[in-house]
Amino acid sequence: MTNVGFAMPWLLLAALSALIPWLASGQRPLRYSSLTVAPTDRVSTLIDRTVRLSASLGLIALVVAVAGPYRREQTVERLGFGAEIVLLIDRSSSMNESFVGRYLGGAARETKGAVAREILTDFVTRRKDDLFAVVAFSAAPIYVLPLTQDRGAVSAAVRSSTERGHGITNIGSGLAMALDFFEGRRKGGARIILLVSDGAARIEEETRERLHQGFSGTDARLYWIYLRNRTGVHLDAPPENPGESTTPEYFLHQFFQTLGSPYRAYEAENADALRRAVADIEALENDPLPYLEKIPRQDLSTYGYVAALVFLLPLLASRALEVDRWRF
Amino acid sequence: MTSGDRPFRWRLWLALLAAVLTAVAIAHPRVPFERNVFRYFFVIDITQSMNVRDYHVTGQPADRLGFVKQTLAEALFELPCGSEVGLGLFTTRNAELLFEPLEICEHLPIITDVLSHIDWRMAWAADSYIATGLYNALRQVGQRKPATRLVFLSDGQQTPDEAITPPFMGKAGEVKGVVVGVGGSQPMLVPKLDRENRQTGYWENADLTAPEDRTPTQQFEAQAIPETPPSGFYLSRLHEDHLKRLAASTGLDYLRLNSAEDLRHALRSDHYAEPQRVQVDLAPLLAGLAWLLLIASYWHTPRLRRPAVAR
Repeated sequence: MTNVGFAMPWLLLAALSALIPWLASGQRPLRYSSLTVAPTDRVSTLIDRTVRLSASLGLIALVVAVAGPYRREQTVERLGFGAEIVLLIDRSSSMNESFVGRYLGGAARETKGAVAREILTDFVTRRKDDLFAVVAFSAAPIYVLPLTQDRGAVSAAVRSSTERGHGITNIGSGLAMALDFFEGRRKGGARIILLVSDGAARIEEETRERLHQGFSGTDARLYWIYLRNRTGVHLDAPPENPGESTTPEYFLHQFFQTLGSPYRAYEAENADALRRAVADIEALENDPLPYLEKIPRQDLSTYGYVAALVFLLPLLASRALEVDRWRF
Repeated sequence: MTSGDRPFRWRLWLALLAAVLTAVAIAHPRVPFERNVFRYFFVIDITQSMNVRDYHVTGQPADRLGFVKQTLAEALFELPCGSEVGLGLFTTRNAELLFEPLEICEHLPIITDVLSHIDWRMAWAADSYIATGLYNALRQVGQRKPATRLVFLSDGQQTPDEAITPPFMGKAGEVKGVVVGVGGSQPMLVPKLDRENRQTGYWENADLTAPEDRTPTQQFEAQAIPETPPSGFYLSRLHEDHLKRLAASTGLDYLRLNSAEDLRHALRSDHYAEPQRVQVDLAPLLAGLAWLLLIASYWHTPRLRRPAVAR
């Protein structure tokens, strides 16, 4: 019975009131000339005990029901199809520009970040079986959410953003934090790091080494949704004047290909391309994933009320049949 | 036998009424009811002066940030269901909001997990322009659902010093909330920690360089500021006057964080509450009444046993 809890357990003390029917008859006394001549009637005694007992139980049932009994939230392990996904979201300043071009109609709120948020929120709500974690990064990685099934929290984190980003893009440490979520965790389902950014920066040699180890150790896959400006660098075509400071995206793409784990990059120049990239990932990532389904806490007080009503009936009957004077 | 002959059978009627109330309770009738809930955005200063250890409360962390996290976690526990809580960070000039407000009872585990992971190493820059950060937080909170309150927790330590506090351009009092002053009034050493959180010493004035991102106006102002003495340790205390002034100019309240109790009390203040219409189940009330009626129906009845001698 450890599965059952009470909203107000202290109210159970009132169950002591169950003693009252045993201490008081609940009946009006009648005078009788000589009780000693009346024989002991076993049926009457039985009826008396039954009425008292059921009144007593009725009081207990009422108290128990009012104390708010509930079955605790249960979790059941089920097997679904999905993945463990860490959303690694760039919050540096450039995310607030809009995609260049006619796609967005130029509305101010439809910045790259806003579009990405909207599409990701859809993605998160659609993927019922997946676990999500969120890491934001600019100069330093920010732990936003651990791997969780709390869908509401994930979309609250994806939707939230500052109107103006800040700082430099430090992808390396963001990736390292994302990998930390998988470190030392029982593997179930595909492990995905979904990097959403519109730019890149150089990753230091030391960090590169760490990332190599991290990716091979955790068996994580990397997807990079690169929100490209029209003027931005293409990932696959070598830029005209390559340099890690001027075209870091190209070099980052090269580096990701050396990680040894499945990696794919999507260049999204507009909302449609972004949608296609997300749909593509969705189609790819459906490995069996054991997940925990929550059976929400369930109110049990109705049983108490029904029981109380049933136990009150004998008392009602006896009181309805009670005589108030002797009639012979 | 007519009814007029017999005394009023109140014990029967009380029991009957109790049974009827219980029967109604089974249906769980609901009535709309207004109760107070809260919607808070907590913005926590994570600059390095928040690592100063100047709290001395048994069972609580000594460093300012740790103390904030601990007391906040305790205070959240006390908010009524239906309240919503969002978390954000402050350094430099911005508030970074981690997630939009979430309902407290359903999401408490995740909210406390995120709170416990807040760390000074998440800072995207080391400077702190308190006023600008506060205004930024106010503007962001103002863009959210009405009745979202801002709770801005900071020690008020400005790095680098600004001679002139930038004016608040918004409407004072439009966003309600409270500025919470964190720390003690004695200047204390600021621990210098490495990325692994190991202490490597204390910040010295010589470590602090003028920020590179000054605007021309700020550069001009900088000439008027007496230079920080280049030697000695960099000290930090709760700049209560500064925070109080900021709170006053933005229409916020001010609270000095001394104990979890203070914070709990402030956060439950009616001043910040928003009435929310909820459907309240009447069943416990009806059943409680039924219970009282039943007990009353035993009033003044003898124990009824066979007496040894009948009178």
